[in-house]
Amino acid sequence: MGNRPEDPGARQSATPGDHTPGELARGYAFLAPLSAFVAVFVIVPVIGTFADSLMRDVTFLPKRFLGLANYRALLSDPGFWQAMRFTCLFTLVSVPLELFLGLAFALLLARPSPARGLLRACVLVPWALPAAVSGRVFQLVYNYHYGLANYLAGIFGLSDHPVNWLGTPIGAFASLVTADAWKTTPFVAIILLAGLSGIPEDLYLQAQIDRAGFARRFTRVTLPLLSPVIVVALLFRTIDALRVFDLVFVLTGGGPGGSTTSLSLYGYQYFLGGDFGYGSAVSVALFLVAFGLSVLYVRIGRFARELA
Amino acid sequence: MKVRIALLALLALLAAWLPIATLGGGRAEGKTITFAVGGASAEFDFWERLVRDFTAETGIGVELLRQPTDTGLRRQGLVVALKSRKSDPDVFLMDVAWLAQFAASRWLAPLDPHFAAGGCGDRKAFFPRIMELADTYEGNLVALPVYVDGGVLYYRSDLLKKYGIGGPPRTLEELLRYAKRVQQGERREKPGFFAFVWQGAQYEGLVCDFLEFAGKDGGFTVREGSVSVDTPANRKALGFMRDLIHRYGVSPPNTYTGMKEEEVRLFFQSGNALFERNWPYAWPLHEAQGSPVRGVTAIAPVPSFAPGSGVSTLGGWHAGISRYSDAKPESVRFLCFLGSYAAQKRLAVGLGWSPGRMDVYDDPEVLARLPHFRKLRTVFVNARPRPILPYYTQLSGILQKHLNAALSGNVPPGKALAAAQKEMQAVVTRYQGK
Repeated sequence: MGNRPEDPGARQSATPGDHTPGELARGYAFLAPLSAFVAVFVIVPVIGTFADSLMRDVTFLPKRFLGLANYRALLSDPGFWQAMRFTCLFTLVSVPLELFLGLAFALLLARPSPARGLLRACVLVPWALPAAVSGRVFQLVYNYHYGLANYLAGIFGLSDHPVNWLGTPIGAFASLVTADAWKTTPFVAIILLAGLSGIPEDLYLQAQIDRAGFARRFTRVTLPLLSPVIVVALLFRTIDALRVFDLVFVLTGGGPGGSTTSLSLYGYQYFLGGDFGYGSAVSVALFLVAFGLSVLYVRIGRFARELA
Repeated sequence: MKVRIALLALLALLAAWLPIATLGGGRAEGKTITFAVGGASAEFDFWERLVRDFTAETGIGVELLRQPTDTGLRRQGLVVALKSRKSDPDVFLMDVAWLAQFAASRWLAPLDPHFAAGGCGDRKAFFPRIMELADTYEGNLVALPVYVDGGVLYYRSDLLKKYGIGGPPRTLEELLRYAKRVQQGERREKPGFFAFVWQGAQYEGLVCDFLEFAGKDGGFTVREGSVSVDTPANRKALGFMRDLIHRYGVSPPNTYTGMKEEEVRLFFQSGNALFERNWPYAWPLHEAQGSPVRGVTAIAPVPSFAPGSGVSTLGGWHAGISRYSDAKPESVRFLCFLGSYAAQKRLAVGLGWSPGRMDVYDDPEVLARLPHFRKLRTVFVNARPRPILPYYTQLSGILQKHLNAALSGNVPPGKALAAAQKEMQAVVTRYQGK
C-alpha cells in the first residue's frame, strides 16, 4: 500500500544489511518454529508424495520403481481427464462468482448501519459449517421428492413436475457451484471487508470533493487499493476450489456418470483401493495445477500493486 | 511475560501427557487386544456387551476401536493402520468387497492352523460357499464371516392381494408387469407412488444391484488378464434398469442420483412403493412399531430374466487378524469367540443381524424371534460374491461411473459397457505388468 513514512510496512524494503547480527539472529529464531512446521507438514509430504508417484506402491504388489509410468497411464486415463476437466471448470466458474458476490456483501457490510455487527455474524454462518454438513443441507434442498428447490419451483409455477436437479451433468455442476458459493462467499466477504477498512477514509472525502460519483470512486479508489486483498482472496479460494472433496463426496458422489468427480475424489478412490503410487500421481497433477495458478496470481498481484 | 506463561502452559501440557503416553505403550503385556468395529450406536453397544463377557470369561482385555459408520471411512482407517504396519487394531471387521485386497496385501494372518488344531470349533458350521469363495485367498483361510448379507426383494403383500396378484414376481418381466399395474392403480390416490425402488446412485451399491439384474449369465470376470463386462446379458440388464426409470417410469427419476440403501428403505417404508431391493437390515426396521409397512411386507429372492436364475449379491462383514498384531494368540481366541455359536446367536437376537454360522438359522429361539431367517438362509446359501480380485475397488469405481451414466439416459448401455470394459482392461493390464 502507500509509502507514507509512518507506515511500518516500509521497512520491508530495507536490505538485511541494515540489521545488526543480533537482530538477524532473533529474526531467524522467530521464523524457526513456523519454518519447521512448514517443512514437516508441507514440504516433506509434498516430496514424499512426488517420490511415491514414481513408484509402483500398491499394497497387493511388490513395490518397485516405475519412473514416469504412472504419469503415462494417467495421461491415457479418461477418468483422470474427466476429473481434471470438472475440477478446472468448477474452479473457473465458482471462484469468480464467489469473488463477485463476496465483494457485493463486503461493500454492503462496510456501510455504517445499526445492525452491522449482527449482519456480519449472520453472513459468517455458512462459512462456519463443515462442508460435509452444508453438503447434507443442499442434499435436502435438491431432493427430488421433498426438496426445497422443487417446492419453490412448484410455488412459483416454474415447473409442473418435480425436477431432478442433480440428474444431468450440467444440473449437478450448477448445484455444486451454488452450494459452494453459498458456503464460501462469506469467507471472501470477510477478507475483502478487512481490506476495505484499511482504505483511508480521507481518500473518499477527497474523491467526493472532486465530485467523483459512486462508480468512479469504486473503480478509482476502492478497486485499486483493494486489489492486493482481492489477489489473496482469489489465491485462497482457487486453491480451495481445486481441492474440492467433501461437497462432491456428499452431494453427488461424483455422479451422474462420473461427471462431477473431482481430482481429489479420484485420487482418494485409488488410495482406498490400495494404489498409493497412482493416487499420488493424481495428487501431484493437482498440486501442479494449484502451483501454476498460485504463481500466476502472485504475478498478477505484483502487477496490481504496481498499478496502485 | 505472556510468552513465558504460554511456554509454561505448554510444558505443563507435555508433562500431563507423558505419563499417559508411556502407560499406553506398556499395554501389550497386559494382554489387551484392539478390535475395530462400526460406530453406529446400536452396533457399538452390542460389541461392548459381548466384549465384556469375553473378558470375564478369559481375562483378555478387549479395547473397542470405534470406527465411523461410513464404509469407505472405515476402510480408510484400516488401510492407513495396516500400510504403516501398526500393531493395532489386532482384530477388525472388513466388508466382503475389500477382503481380496487385504488378503493380497498380506495383511491378514492365516487362520487354518487354529481350526486344524481344533481350538476354534468346526469351520463347516459356517456357510461353506462363503467360506470358500470370500474368506479363502490362495488356499488360506484369512477371515470368518461374522455377519452375512445378500440382496433380497421386499414386497407389499397387501398391495399384491389388492390387485389380484398371486405372489411375488419370479422373473423381471413379471416384476415389471405387476409394477405397472399396481402403480397405475395406486397413483390415483398417491401421486408420489413408484412401484420399484433400488440402489442406482454412483457408488458400490449400484454394482451390487447391477449384478443381480444381470443374474447368473451376467456380471463381470477377469480371466487371464482379460476383462469381460460388455456382454449381451449385461447390456440387456442395464437397458432394463434404465427403462425402469425413463421408459416405464416405475422407478423414481432420482434413482440414479439419490438412491442408496437408506433412501430406498425410507421410500419403501413410507408406503410409497410396491417392491424394494435391499439388504436384510431393512427387515426389522420395516417391522418396527410405527412403521407404515409393518405386517404387510414380505421377502422374496431377487428375480432375474429367466425363472430361477436370480442370484443375490453377497455382502456382509468378516473378521480377520492383522499380520502385524502383537497379541496373536489372544486375537485368535477372540476371533474364535466371535465365531462361536453363542456369540453368533447373540448377534442375531441382539442386533437382528444375520450370522455367518448356518446352524444358528435352525435355532428355535432365533426362529421364533426372527421367522424371516428361514428365507434368508436360502438366500445366503446361493449368494454370489463380487469378483474376488485385489484391485476390485478400482474396477468397481470405473463400472459404477459407466453404469450410472447409462442410468442417467445420456449414454446407451452398449456404449457405456464398452467404455467400462476398455477402462477396466487398462487397469488390469497395469497391475498385471511385473
